[in-house]
Amino acid sequence: MHRPDVSVENTLRSSEAFAAPNRKDYIQTQKASHGRKIFGVFPGHYPRELLWAFDILPVEIWDPPIETSRADAHLQSYICPVAKRGLELILDSRARGLDGVLFPHLCDTLQNLASLTAHYLQPDLPVYFFYTPKSTCPAPSWKYYIQQTRGLAERLAERFGPLDPAQWAARSAQALELDRALEALYALRAGGRLVCSNAAFYSFIRQAEYLHPDDFLPRIERFRAVCEGKATGGKRVLLSGILPNPPETLEALDDLGVRVADDDLLDAGRRIPAHAPRSADPWERAAERFFALPPCSTGSSPLKARLERLAAMVRSASAGGVIFWTVKFCEPEAFDLPELRSGLKRLGIPSLVIESALDEGLTGQTATRLEAFLEMLP
Amino acid sequence: MTLLPAIRYRFMKDIGAPAAMRFAKMGKKRPARPPDPLFAPPLAATRRLKELISRHYFLSRYTRGAMPVAWVTSGAPVEILRPFGYYTLYPENHSALCGAQKVGGRMCAHAEEHGYSPDLCSYARIDLGHALTGNTPVGRLPRPDLLFASNNICQTVLYWYKILAARYGIPLILFDTPYRFADAEGGPDLEYMVGQMEAIIQQLEGISGRRFDREAFSRTIDLAKETSLLWGRVLATMKARPAPMTIFDAFAHMLPIVSLRGLESARGYYRLLLEELEERAERGVGAIREERKRLMWDNIAIWPRMREHANLFASHGMAFVTATYTNAWAETTPLLDPGRPLESLAKAYSCVILNHHLEHRLKLMERLIREYRVDGLVIHSARSCKPYSVGQYDIKRLLLERLSIPSVVIEADIADERAYAEEQTRTRLEAFFEALEEE
Repeated sequence: MHRPDVSVENTLRSSEAFAAPNRKDYIQTQKASHGRKIFGVFPGHYPRELLWAFDILPVEIWDPPIETSRADAHLQSYICPVAKRGLELILDSRARGLDGVLFPHLCDTLQNLASLTAHYLQPDLPVYFFYTPKSTCPAPSWKYYIQQTRGLAERLAERFGPLDPAQWAARSAQALELDRALEALYALRAGGRLVCSNAAFYSFIRQAEYLHPDDFLPRIERFRAVCEGKATGGKRVLLSGILPNPPETLEALDDLGVRVADDDLLDAGRRIPAHAPRSADPWERAAERFFALPPCSTGSSPLKARLERLAAMVRSASAGGVIFWTVKFCEPEAFDLPELRSGLKRLGIPSLVIESALDEGLTGQTATRLEAFLEMLP
Repeated sequence: MTLLPAIRYRFMKDIGAPAAMRFAKMGKKRPARPPDPLFAPPLAATRRLKELISRHYFLSRYTRGAMPVAWVTSGAPVEILRPFGYYTLYPENHSALCGAQKVGGRMCAHAEEHGYSPDLCSYARIDLGHALTGNTPVGRLPRPDLLFASNNICQTVLYWYKILAARYGIPLILFDTPYRFADAEGGPDLEYMVGQMEAIIQQLEGISGRRFDREAFSRTIDLAKETSLLWGRVLATMKARPAPMTIFDAFAHMLPIVSLRGLESARGYYRLLLEELEERAERGVGAIREERKRLMWDNIAIWPRMREHANLFASHGMAFVTATYTNAWAETTPLLDPGRPLESLAKAYSCVILNHHLEHRLKLMERLIREYRVDGLVIHSARSCKPYSVGQYDIKRLLLERLSIPSVVIEADIADERAYAEEQTRTRLEAFFEALEEE
């Protein structure tokens, strides 16, 4: 059975070098000490490095820990909790501290939410929109992505001054460095050479959602230095879905001695490009990074490509099965699931679906299903 | 394509189908019904509509080996397929038919048994239910050779068609229309869409083995534009008081503009329908016998409840005279230009209501409310359709603030009758009727 290394866990918990900084405090420090602008960014793919180049700190809004009340007056009961919580945050007084909000295009709900926010709910808050191409034709898509990135740069320049080419080049390089660092961390984990718990791993990885790369990159190095080592045995699983919430599920896996060997989560592993860009030009490089991202339910990549990737990940990480961890009412993921599951089944790979309404803790039913599934695994 | 199936198709088209339609008509001779206390006599054109649609589905059974079949989304620029000789079918249209025949729930259940969530779009679930079981009330749908989608109506079609592509092992072509978050004209978005069209034409040449006929393409656009303009004029007849038809009629009569766009049969049909409606309007014949209030409908129809709703509203003297949904196939017609086919097609298809920011939708609704002299609004909050439904609560509030238009929201579904709460909906509607009648 896999057990996280207790001394490593204690180090991760006790050291400020690894614990997730309080978002609010961190944002305030970024503003006060560095003079950075703060952008709330909704889920989706966007050129983070461009925002960094404008000295903007993107703070991603995936699952803010707040109860929805005002958002319910604007969104129906069948809308996903990611959108609802995001809107709740935007309607909250805390949004006043934002210099802007960015909506990368991801799904129908967030598309309309962008308009709802910009046109009616927060008309004084600068809202930016970034459309990611979904066409099945590669050539126009490539060109369009670059145009979109340039367009976003122009809109940002109108408010924050011209883009500094040196900064742009440097931040573009830093984005690649971050990709490489995360890729290395993932490779260690898949190879059984990372000794931290699942909960600690994702608590750390999710810091990428709001830490500036100047702070996050050295943290990755330190994290790696502390956690690298031969992991003990135990069953191994692969996670796929949107985001690892509620964290109690990860803790349950830890308690059951199960190691997450790799993931295809939209807010984690699915954001690491499959290969490094070759171009030296930051605009081209941004496009290369985007088109090198793994197959995603929200894009036009064929289901077969996503299935093949999952199967390859299972094989290379020696995982016994796949846990699809979806968010309630998330249409793109829900559409993919049956085909992916039957495809995996044909390959002899068992899978389980757990659905989350976010921060609901681990329900008894989910815990039981999880245990039953894990018992089946080799 | 081989010779024998082509001959068979030709025979069925010219002789078999007309004979089958005549035979079906003979079998359905019913005694004349007494006049309906709520409605004017049915439109004569409805019979032709039924023939047109039946014939379209009937002939689709004879396409195998005779011509390639494409399954297309309702908002895709089908004109680009026409010169390649594709027989086009619309899964959304088929799902709506299933919904109207109250078998939507059953077909959704087939998909759910295979792991598809009941939270997903019911058009998609019905179609997947059909793909998984072959069940359909229209007899049989031919297997597609190609899938052609556009996400101008929703992203859902992309997720749904990816499954079909995997299941049938056929190409999926997506025409991607960037969401119009701002009102910027042209620029990179237009360039991107035109670039895609050029690439799509090349792809289609490769897939079909046929050269693209640009002249035929321009003629198709011309035909589609004229048909769409006719559809717009059909809808405009409802500006008359009393309105010669209602939106419940329009929901049915929109089938050709969706499914047969760019074909002669659709144009011919709308000429016929328009003539009849204009004549009715001239004579002051209303679709409902006593039109006291005029309403607007927002979102897709609740197909399984069409008849019940038509009766319910008519019994209160309320006529639906406009809808954002039916208007969608007339809204951007003026942008079509056979002289600049690709550019104009890109503009027309990307400017539709659902691909536009909400302020555009609100302004359009305001215009329709004024032009059609609307007294109240019924908002269908459809579980299946997020692009249509997200933002509706605020649209309701803003229309009340700006135009003092009272409205009601009913939460239901487009084709899955299981998602309809009879009592709750009736209670909400009764309260709405009372409020309107007091005005």
